[in-house]
Amino acid sequence: MSGRLYQLPLLPRTLHVVRPVVPKSPTGKRQTDGRRTPLWYAVCLPQLMTTDALACTARQAAIAELLGSLSANVSIEPPDSFVFEVRSTLNYFGGIQRIRNRLQEQLLPLLQSWGLPGDIQQAASPTPAASLLLAQAGCNVLIHRPENLRSALGRLPVQLLPQPARKSRQLHNSGLRRLRDLWRLPQHGLRQRFGADFVGQLDRCLGKVASPIKPYQSPPLFRSSLEFEYAVENTQLLLHGAEELLARLCGFLRRRELAATYVSLTLEHEHRQGTALDIELRQPTRAEEHLRLLVQTHLDTLVLPAPVLGIQIEVRHFEPFQASVHSLSGIDQAHLPSRHLITPLLERLQARLGNAAVCSLLCRNEHRPEQAGQGLVYGSTVGAASSITAAATTNRRPCWLLPEPLALRQEQGRLYYRSSLRLLSGPERIETGWWSGQEIRRDYYVAGNRQGMQLWIFHERCEEHGRERNWFLHGIFD
Amino acid sequence: MYSIMPNPDIPKSLESLLNSSLLWRGGEHQLAASSTQNSHLPGLCSGYPALDACLPWGGWPASALVEIITPLWGAGELQLVLPLLRNLSQQGKWILWISPPCLPYAPALTQAGIAAGQIIVVSPNRATPVQALWSMEKALQNEACALVLAWPDKLSGKHIRRLQLAASTGRTLGILFHHHHVRHSSAVLQLRVDSDEEGLQVTVLKARGSYRRDSIRLARSTP
Repeated sequence: MSGRLYQLPLLPRTLHVVRPVVPKSPTGKRQTDGRRTPLWYAVCLPQLMTTDALACTARQAAIAELLGSLSANVSIEPPDSFVFEVRSTLNYFGGIQRIRNRLQEQLLPLLQSWGLPGDIQQAASPTPAASLLLAQAGCNVLIHRPENLRSALGRLPVQLLPQPARKSRQLHNSGLRRLRDLWRLPQHGLRQRFGADFVGQLDRCLGKVASPIKPYQSPPLFRSSLEFEYAVENTQLLLHGAEELLARLCGFLRRRELAATYVSLTLEHEHRQGTALDIELRQPTRAEEHLRLLVQTHLDTLVLPAPVLGIQIEVRHFEPFQASVHSLSGIDQAHLPSRHLITPLLERLQARLGNAAVCSLLCRNEHRPEQAGQGLVYGSTVGAASSITAAATTNRRPCWLLPEPLALRQEQGRLYYRSSLRLLSGPERIETGWWSGQEIRRDYYVAGNRQGMQLWIFHERCEEHGRERNWFLHGIFD
Repeated sequence: MYSIMPNPDIPKSLESLLNSSLLWRGGEHQLAASSTQNSHLPGLCSGYPALDACLPWGGWPASALVEIITPLWGAGELQLVLPLLRNLSQQGKWILWISPPCLPYAPALTQAGIAAGQIIVVSPNRATPVQALWSMEKALQNEACALVLAWPDKLSGKHIRRLQLAASTGRTLGILFHHHHVRHSSAVLQLRVDSDEEGLQVTVLKARGSYRRDSIRLARSTP
C-alpha cells in the first residue's frame, strides 16, 4: 500500500495528484507508530462574511451546532471556517464519502434559508491547521498521511497563512511566493528572519507540533417549570413556587460555576397569554436570597390578570461566576470599591420604582451649565466609563440646578423671587455652544434674597429686535 | 434593673460601667466633647466645630435618624451636610439621595470636594408618597449605604419611628429634610435651620441624651 491522496469525492474540481511518498522500514513494511493518525475535516464558507457581526456570530453558532451531529470535537475558526475531527466517527458513518454527503445534505438547506450560495470549500488532512489552509485555498483534497502534507501544501500561496500585513510583504519581497519555497529553506534561517511564531505556524500545519483547538460548546440554557395543583391567586403562594424554581436555578449555577445576568419568569394562565416577569441583573449573581427578594419586589407590585396555573423560569444569559475575594487581614477590604455591596439594593429599588428612577450623577467637562451635570440612569452603559470628569470651571456652581430656567419677574424695578433680590457677585459670561444649535449667551450672577437663599440667575444677551432681554433663575446654591 | 445586666462574670470596672448602654448620663454631651473615645455612641464630624460642640455625640450621630426642619428649600440647609458628604464619599462610602426637590448638580458637588460617583439619586414617583417611604426604609436597612438624605412629602410620627428603627438595624445615618415639625418624633436629633441674609441659625430642638437646647449661628459661604 502506498500513501494515498484522493481527491475528496466532493465537488467536481481539478484533481491534484501528488506523487506518493512511500516511507519504508528496513523490513519493507510500512512504519506505524501504533497510533491512528487523526483526521480533521475543514469547511470554509466565505459567503458567511457579513458586515453585521451579530448575525455572523449567530450563523457560526448555528453551523457549529449542525456539525456537532458529525463529530464531538468541533471548532469555529473565525471568520468563516470550521474544523472538526472525523477519525473517531469515520467507522460509525461508514467512510468519508458518507460524512461528506451528510454534511452537504444538512448544510445546503441552512445556507439556502439564509439566502446564501451553496458553495462549500472543504478539505481533510491529519492536522487542523493544514485542513483549514487547504479548505481556504479551495483545494478540496483528502490527505490521509502526514508525510504527504508537505507536497500537498507546497502549491499554496504563502499569503494564505494568517499573519500581519508587514510580514506578508516581507515574504513577498524575499521572493517566497508558495509554501514550497519555504520548505526548501533551512529552519534556523527562517526562524531568524521571520520569528519563532511563523515557524511554529508551519510546524503546526505539518503536524510536527501539536495544534490545540478550542472546542465549540453550545451556550448553557436553564429552563424549569412548576405546575400548581390548583389555580393560585395569591402572590404569597406564587412566591413559594418561585422560591423552589430559584433553588433549582441556583443549584444549576453552582454546578456549572456560572452566574445569571437575566432571569425570565412566566406565570401561566388558562386560556390567555402568560404574564412575564423579567429580572435584569446589573451584576451577575447566583445568590438565592437576592433573587428571591427581587422576585418578591416584582410580585408585590404585580396585579394578577387571572389565576395562575404554573410558573416557568428560563435563563439564557450567563457569565462565569466570580467570587468576591477578601483580604486575609481584612484591612484592605474597607478601601475596595464597594460597588458589589450596593448593587443588590439598587436593583431592588429599580425593580419596584422602574429603571429610570435610580440615577447616578454625570459630570462633564463642559461650559454649558445644562450639559455639565446630568443624571445617568443607573446600569445604562452609555457614557458610564467617563461619567465623572473635572468640572470645566472653578467659578462657584449651585448644588441644585433647575430642570428649566425660571423667568424672574420684576417688582418696582427690582428682581423678585420670594423677596427682592440683591446681586452678590457677577457677572460671569457664558457664551458658547453656537455649533450645536443650542447656543447660549448669558451673563450669570449670584443673588441673595431676604430669606437667605443664594440664587444663580442669568440675564440673556441675545439682542433680537423687538424682544426684551429677560432675567431667569437657573440654580439654587445650597 | 440588675437582672438584665450582661454576664456577671465580667469584672465590672468603672470604665466598663460607664460604657454600658444601659446607663444614661445627663452630662454626656460634655464628656463627648472632651474625650474622643466615646465608644458606645460615636459621632461623625460635621465639619463645623460650633455644631459639633453642641451635639452630645461630638458630631452627627451614627446609625440614627436626624430631622432637619427648614421653612423652605434651598436656604442653606444643604451647607450643613456638605462636609459630611465630602468625608464619606472620599472614603468610598455610598450616599443615597431620595426624592430630592430636583436633581443635584454634579459640578457643584465636585467643586465642594465630593466624589460625585458615590452618589445615587432615587426619585420615586411623587404621586405615590408610599414609594419614597419604602425606598427610604430599604436604603436605611442596607449596611452598604452609609448615608441617606431624603426629602419626604408626607411624614408622621409612625413613619419616623419605622425609619429610626431601620437606621439602627442598617447602621446608617439618615437625614430627613422637611418643612413641618412632627409631633412625638422619635428621631435621635431634630434641628431647625432658619436663614437670613447674614447666615444660618441652627437650633437643636431635640437631641437624645441631652437636655441642652443650644442655638448656634453659622456664616454662609460667600460667593
